[in-house]
Amino acid sequence: MRWGLPAAVVAACVGYLIYSASGGATEYYMTVSELQAHATAGDVRVAGVVQDDVQKSDGLHVTFTEKDGTASMPVQYTGTLPDIFKPGITVVVEGKLGGDGVFHARTLLAKCPSRFSTQPYVK
Amino acid sequence: MILGYLGAGALLAALVMGGFSALLSFWSGIRQSATFIQVGRRAFYAAAAMTFLSAVVLEVALLTHDFSLAYVVEHTDLSTPTALVAAAFYGGQEGSLLYWTVILGVLGSASLLASASLGGRVAAYAAGILASILTFFLFVLAVVASPFDVLSMAPPDGLGLNPILRDGGMLIHPPVVLAGFASFAIPFSFACAALLAGRVDAAWITHTRRFALLAWSLQTAGLLLGMWWAYHVLGWGGYWGWDPVENVALMPWLATTAYLHSSQVQERRGRLRLWNFGLVITAFLLVVFGTFIVRSGVVPSVHTFAISAIGPWFFGFLVVCLLFSAVLLTLRSNLGVEAKPAPAVSREGAFVLQNLLLLGVVAVVMWGTVLPLVSGMFGVQRVAGASFYERAAGPLLAAILALLAVGPLLPWRHAGRATLRALRWPVAAAIVALMVLLIAGVRSAPALVAFPLAVAAGATALTEYARAALRKPRSLLRKRRRYGAYLAHLGLVVAVTGVAASHFGQQERDVTLQPGEAVTVAGYSLTYAGSERRQLTDHTEFVAGMRFGDQTLEPSRATYAGLGGQALTHVAISTTPTADLYVVLAGTNPDGSATFRVFVNPLVIFIWAGGAVIILGVLLGNVGERSAATELARRRIPVTLPA
Repeated sequence: MRWGLPAAVVAACVGYLIYSASGGATEYYMTVSELQAHATAGDVRVAGVVQDDVQKSDGLHVTFTEKDGTASMPVQYTGTLPDIFKPGITVVVEGKLGGDGVFHARTLLAKCPSRFSTQPYVK
Repeated sequence: MILGYLGAGALLAALVMGGFSALLSFWSGIRQSATFIQVGRRAFYAAAAMTFLSAVVLEVALLTHDFSLAYVVEHTDLSTPTALVAAAFYGGQEGSLLYWTVILGVLGSASLLASASLGGRVAAYAAGILASILTFFLFVLAVVASPFDVLSMAPPDGLGLNPILRDGGMLIHPPVVLAGFASFAIPFSFACAALLAGRVDAAWITHTRRFALLAWSLQTAGLLLGMWWAYHVLGWGGYWGWDPVENVALMPWLATTAYLHSSQVQERRGRLRLWNFGLVITAFLLVVFGTFIVRSGVVPSVHTFAISAIGPWFFGFLVVCLLFSAVLLTLRSNLGVEAKPAPAVSREGAFVLQNLLLLGVVAVVMWGTVLPLVSGMFGVQRVAGASFYERAAGPLLAAILALLAVGPLLPWRHAGRATLRALRWPVAAAIVALMVLLIAGVRSAPALVAFPLAVAAGATALTEYARAALRKPRSLLRKRRRYGAYLAHLGLVVAVTGVAASHFGQQERDVTLQPGEAVTVAGYSLTYAGSERRQLTDHTEFVAGMRFGDQTLEPSRATYAGLGGQALTHVAISTTPTADLYVVLAGTNPDGSATFRVFVNPLVIFIWAGGAVIILGVLLGNVGERSAATELARRRIPVTLPA
């Protein structure tokens, strides 16, 4: 049997679906300094280290400063915090940089230093 | 100390035997020397046995708290419960690789035991390929990431296991997933061996059918257990996050699902020969690719676990496997030439379309997974969010669901008017479902597509059962492969209904309550009863009581002082027949109030129940099936070299 034609049709459909979804449903993933260098209008994900100024107003509202070595920015987030959230860990926030310079995060993910062990043992 | 040397020695011996088996098997296959083929096979058994011995040594070292081994120190401590100490065997990078290698050795040996009936060359090449894969893993274990590294000074206690992993899920999810991954190597090895030997018949498919089913069932169970674990432990209200680690486990499963269907076309009609080789090879390459992604950390993921020096080695292994397979398929592409085309509207056609759609989903998931890598090469990294996968894969999944309703009703070779008549039940069921949804006020287009299609697919499986029960009740038992498969289809329909309901119907609400205050989410009323502090041996627990009907849900937060104050959330879930009530304690406030996030997740229990039915269907359909050897004899496939 000759399946070249249906295969080509399915491949074209898949290609179109990927292309059209890539337009609206993918986000930039950057560091704080990259975000400040290229301001983007849409949602972005920004990775950085949580600084010591974490302030929780109740269980769900939190503000802190995220820093990546050179640049830093204030972050505002409402939602449940990951268990390992604390100053010093790396987090990835997803949201928008507001006109006031504050990053309004929709989601906040913590990067586990390692999922399996608590810390590397010095050999 | 002595255990470390014993284990490392066993690994080294296994490595030598594995390399010897690989070389001898290929050489004797080319020379067609029956004696040496057998010696090569036995060398593989020996390598598997030595690997098993090293695994026993590691397990003994863990259980006896031998802190002279770095691996034991890094993954356990004296306070870890015994079951979790035993589970630490596969809890770390090195141990999980060793576990994988042991499974490969055991299943590889089992698949080689009866392989002589396939003919000397196929058997020899299969042993050679299996031994090569085993040797690669043993090399990585012996040289790059050994679980038997000895510390110069043994500390009095270990570091222990991360509290997130101190859970029952740890005991079952990782071993099932890893065993699933390891077992993909068996169909791959026999497919490549048949290609190398230039054998076009379906003997390799029949011989490895059980292993392909085993790999698929383990992978299905592994994915479901992972979803279940994430849902019950992580507290974000969902079970699937399209994280790269999840994606790379999904892709081989999709490819194997395609293969389990298309292989029937070859067994029944002798078609799609080259395609089946390609699918099995693709599934294995996806496993190796996934291992590389997970262990190298090249793609940003929430689980940045187990990153180590083995990344480049797995990349090299992936490249070698890819080149080997590509060359092999190109050299043997003449084997795929088929006599005359079959009509598109037939069972064969449905299987091919299903295969193409499944591979389309693989392509979507693959693109979403590697997008950060690819975009990073051309500028700022981009990542694909959940909506990317939903928008790109959603229509393909809907088409697969439609095929699930139509495909089983199509006869082999060509479909006629009788097929159109058979379609009346699923079509009627879909229309009724659509009406009910519209009357119930559902207006979301994806939901209006997904549910009726699922109902139609369920109706198809049920009408097939009804027809058999009315006409030939005995065939339900005699053709159990077929009716087992329909049971798996029914399970899938149930699981899909659960996924769609929880996806389209999830409601969530953040709320701060004083003791005695109540909140209503999606019609479910919850009353905050108050909270208490419990001091346990290694952690403090802050437990909130939430009254729901006559039960009390207890979401809590634990703090581990010994681990730098790490917190751990315990979700409270109450399952009713129609929805899960999922309560997370987000925090407590100085004024005595507590903040909660409450989810109402409709029909999540359908996912777990449907998954169990899928696996039950595969088991019932294949237990007591004729063994591979009798199947081959029945088909009069010439046996060239007796065992």
